[in-house]
This record gives sequence, structure tokens and C-alpha cells, in this order.
Amino acid sequence: MAWYLIGAIFLAGIWGLISLPNLIKKVVALNIANSAIILFFIYFGSLSGDTAPIMGDGAGTPVDPLPQALMLTAIVVGVCVVALALGLVYRLYQRYGTLDIREIERKVWRRDE
Amino acid sequence: MSSVALLVVLPFVGALVALFGKLVRAEPLLSVVSTLPLLGMAALLVMQFPAVLDGAAFTYSLGGWPEPAGIALTLDGFGWLSSALVVLISTMVVFASFSSRRYRSTYFFFLMLLVAGMEVVVLTGDIFTMFVGFEIVAISAYVLIAFDRTDEGLLASLKYLLLSSMGILFFLFGVFLLYRDFGTLSLRIMAEDSATTPVAETTSVHLAVAALCVGIGVRTAFMPFHTWLPEAHAYAPHPVSALLSGVLIKISFFAMLRIIAVFRATYLSDLLLWIGAATAFLAVVWALAQRDAKRLLAYHSISQMGYVLAAFGAASALSITAAFSHAMHHALFKSLLFLVAGMAVQMSGERDLYRIRPIGRRAPLLALGFVVGALSIAGIPPFNGFASKQLISSALDHHPAYALLWITAVGTTASFIKASRLVLWRRPAGPALQTTSVMAARRSNHRVPVPEPASAGVMIHIPVIVLALLCLATGLFARPVSLLLASLLSSTEVGAFPAAAAGSAAGTGTAVAAAAGSIPATFLSGPKLLGALPVLVLGILLFLGSTTGPGIRLAGRIERIMPELRTILLYFVLGLALFAIVAYL
Repeated sequence: MAWYLIGAIFLAGIWGLISLPNLIKKVVALNIANSAIILFFIYFGSLSGDTAPIMGDGAGTPVDPLPQALMLTAIVVGVCVVALALGLVYRLYQRYGTLDIREIERKVWRRDE
Repeated sequence: MSSVALLVVLPFVGALVALFGKLVRAEPLLSVVSTLPLLGMAALLVMQFPAVLDGAAFTYSLGGWPEPAGIALTLDGFGWLSSALVVLISTMVVFASFSSRRYRSTYFFFLMLLVAGMEVVVLTGDIFTMFVGFEIVAISAYVLIAFDRTDEGLLASLKYLLLSSMGILFFLFGVFLLYRDFGTLSLRIMAEDSATTPVAETTSVHLAVAALCVGIGVRTAFMPFHTWLPEAHAYAPHPVSALLSGVLIKISFFAMLRIIAVFRATYLSDLLLWIGAATAFLAVVWALAQRDAKRLLAYHSISQMGYVLAAFGAASALSITAAFSHAMHHALFKSLLFLVAGMAVQMSGERDLYRIRPIGRRAPLLALGFVVGALSIAGIPPFNGFASKQLISSALDHHPAYALLWITAVGTTASFIKASRLVLWRRPAGPALQTTSVMAARRSNHRVPVPEPASAGVMIHIPVIVLALLCLATGLFARPVSLLLASLLSSTEVGAFPAAAAGSAAGTGTAVAAAAGSIPATFLSGPKLLGALPVLVLGILLFLGSTTGPGIRLAGRIERIMPELRTILLYFVLGLALFAIVAYL
């Protein structure tokens, strides 16, 4: 069940990325899809054991620590991309006064002249 | 620290130096210092060359952790070739960047970061580190594309960001599936597993490989993922265009090649062959219709990568050698073309081929360099494009898709006759301008960012001359060069792929021996030279046809087809579905 829910989050992100015209919403959708991928890893990792993979009392099976380590990296990378995307969006908004990608594209290519 | 690790660490050090450039007064000096690691990398590569040629593979485990958990960097023949390409073209681009005062330490920070990311991608032994490398590359590329802060540059950068982030999501999903099924991220261990156990034949691994290919495919820019490239490469600062077209798309292509080889994904070969041929053909049609000098070159990058992909997809004995050699040659002549075109655009403040002032008289050496590049890409002997196209035609061996590539060669010739306006022709009366065309509409208030001196500096001449000489040398000595390529690749997993594709259990050595046997003894024999003639004649005819009234109208119509962001993303989904279906079946 959890797999399908994560899949649904991922698809929602992809859908938003494709069909929402607002650039901020597009970036948010990208972030949502990214989180879904992170959830895939984390959930898969969590199935491999039941205690934290830290040297402890030795009771229970520790979870596989690798997915968590990977996803820390992926989160950092994701934050960089989102920050840069928002920076670009802000610049475009300053110049064109709109967040609608269709309008921005029209203006940059001057299709309306 | 081992030399392999240094190859990755050095450019990061360079980037770090550039990062502090703003703090000191000697900022230009610091910019120069920040690029010095490239020299160190070149020296390292030269030192390792004899050993790598003997088939040695240097491995370095990061932090001393062994491979299933740790990160391994491997320098083998494949890594050496890719690194050499990165270092060579980046050095040339650095020289070109010195020719303009616009590029300060911030620029060099991102440039060195880009180099470091590419080294990570080509040297890494595990697939998650490859993802990180791809993102380092991507983030620095986004910044560099938008570096001039022109409207087109910002928009192109954002579009590229959205598309390739979407691609990389699927890449990461593929990594997840592979980790689930193999329990490791190391490419080497996965290659061993997929050779011995049937796990590589499960549907989920097939889908994972398809997802990886799609994620990388966005960076490699074959159809239908090519849509970001013309804008990104055309509106980036000129040296950056050369770097992006010269190296970046090759590095991602090499990464894809490696992944396909590791998983023996022969089921993708036919798809790649046809996508490659279609990409080559369609992109050249668009290239022929362009008026903007740099967009024209950008479309040719797509088209030539189509050649490379088709050669690889043929999965014959020669295909790896042919694909690599064309990718290498394309890196040489395309960065040359982009550097000269960028200089011409900068000197005349105009991007439109029909309005630009040719630089032939003001900078004759640059013009000569452009002509060498144009002859190379058009496949005119004795330049290197001719040699690698010979290899590709042998690799495809009368496959029906080769007809498309042959037509592409005609189109390439025609469009480079048109592009030679950049350097040779006088300011022409030109065909009647289409007021409705996009370029014409934009011409009215077109900006070329910073007015620059109208003469070319000394610095730009160095890379142009070096690259032009390399184009000629790799063309004249095509046989030794391709033999060298074949033997460098022989001991790597990539070199073993053709044998696996042919279904034989033969070792790696035999596959390359077969390739070496099928490399023609001479590239400049009489019949082959005659074979280039019809392409040239038809190319001239096609060019003349494109200057007639109907030709111009058609070109204008094609030029105006520019997909919007939503269409671009839908293309991506389409391509994803295509790969998934082919991998699933």
C-alpha cells in the first residue's frame, strides 16, 4: 500500500511539473516528485531492519544505513537545484512581472509582435 | 593520494581558489591560478598513459572503504579517454575565456566545478556517485548558461533545469530499482552479477536501465529529449557553448554507453540506432532552416550526436570505436566552430547569418579555423569528420538507417555552406527577409550583451589554431588514431559490449581485435574520396535550393516551430514511454 501512495506522490509531482503554468508551482512540484523518490529509498531501507544502525545494545536487526546516507546527499542536491531554479524564476519575474511560463515564453520570443 | 583521486580533487581545488577571488584585489590573477589544475590533470593523464594503454586500471577507494559500501574511482582506458577529452577541451575553452574581460572569478568557479563534475561522472565506479556528478555538472551548467543574464539565457537555463531535473528524477528512480534488485551500487559488482545470475534479465532491471538511459538521454540531447539544447547552447556565453557542445553532451553519452554495457542492454540497441538516425536527420533539417549562427551550430551538435548514437546502436564489431571516434572528432571541430562563431558574433554584435559582418578580413586565422571546422563536420577529406564518418558507415554496414545518415551528410554540407557567411562572404544583399520569422521579429531590438572591442584578441587564436591542427591531424592519421582508440577501450567493460551484443562469450580482447581488423587500412583511398563527391555536389545543390523563394519560405516556417515548455516536457514523457516499452518487451 505504501508503495502505491509514494507512487501517487511521485506522479502528482510529475503532473504538476508538466501542466501547471505557474513557475513557482512547477518548482514546488519538482520538489514533491523529488521527495517521493527519497521516500522510495527510505521506505525500502526501513523494511530491512527494526533498530537504528548505530552501535548499541545489539538487540534487533539494524536497518540498512546506505539508503539513508544516499538520501541525505540527494536532499542536499535537491535543495541546490530548487534554490537555483527559484533564483532564475525570480529574475524572470523581475523582468516580465509574471510567473506564467506561457506568457514569459511569448515575451522572450516576442511572438505577440 | 593516488593519481585517480587527484584527477577529481584538482578541479575542485581550482574551483575553491576561484571562490575566494572576490576577496582579493588580484582577481584576474586568481582566475588564472584557478585554472592551473587543468595543467596538473593533463600531466597526470600523460603520466598514466603507457600503463593505461597496457590495460591497467587504477582504482582508488575513497576513504579506504572497500567497494560494496565505499566509493571507488577507476581510471581505465575508457576513463582515460573521457578525462583527456574533458581536459583538452576545457583548457581550450579557458584560453578563449581569457580573451574577454567579462569572465571573472565567479565564472571560473563554475567552470572548474563543471570540469570536476565531469571527472566524477567518468571516473566513478558506482551509480549513485554518477548521479551526484551529473547534478554537479548540471548545476554549474545552468549557472553558466544564464551567466550573461540575457532574457533568452535565463529562460533557456530554466527550461533546461526543469527538463533535466525531471530526467534525473527518473535516473534516481532507476538507481533505486537497481539497488533493490542487486543490493549494491557498484557498477563493477553489478556487471559481474548480471553476467553470472539471471537477475539482469528481470523486467524491473530492464525498466531501471531504461530509466537511467532516459535520465542521461536528456543530457545527451537525442530526440525526443533534444529540445532544450538549441536554446541553451545558443544563448550561453560563447566559450561556454563550446564547452557544452564539445564535452558535456559527450560525457553523458559515454556514461550512458557504460551503463548499457554494464547491463548488457542489447535490447536497447535497435531503438538507439533508429533514434540516432532520426535525430541526425531531423536536427539537420532544423539546422538548415536557422538564421542564427549559434542556433545553427547547436542543431548540428544534436545531429552529430545522432550519428554517434546510431553507430553505437549498430552493435557491430566496429560500433564502439566508430562511436567514440566520431564523438571525439565532433568535440574537436564543434568547439572550434563555436569558438569562432562566438568571436564573430561578438565582433559584429549580430547573430543573424544574413546580417553578420564576415570576419574573414579582420581575423583571417580565425576564418581559416572555421573553414577547417566546417570541412571536418561536412565530412570532406582529409579532415577528421571524413574519417569517423567512414568508420560509422562501416559500422552500420548497409543498414537501412544509413540512408538517413547519408542524407544528413548532404544537409550538413549545405548548411555549412550557409554558415560560411560568418567568415567568408561579403555583407550580402541576401535573400528577402521574412518579416514574420521569429528571428526577424527579434532583430528589431536584439541585444548582444556587452559591447566588446571589434578585434579578436591573441588568446582566442591559441585554441582555434590548436583545435584546427588537431582536426587535420586526426584526419590525416585516422588509422593510427582509431587503432589507439580501439586498444584503449579494449580492456574496459565498454569495449566488451560488442561481443556481448553479438551473443558470443568471447573475451574482451577478441572483440577489439575484430574491430581493429575491420578498421580500413587507409581512409584516403580513391573510391572513398569519390564517395564524398556526391555528398558535396548534392549539398551545394541543396544550399542553392534553400536560397530560392520556396526554400526560404519553408525554412522560415520550420524555424518558427519552437516547442513551448509544456510540449518539451510532454516530449520527455513520450520518450520515457518509448524506452519503457522497448525495455519491457
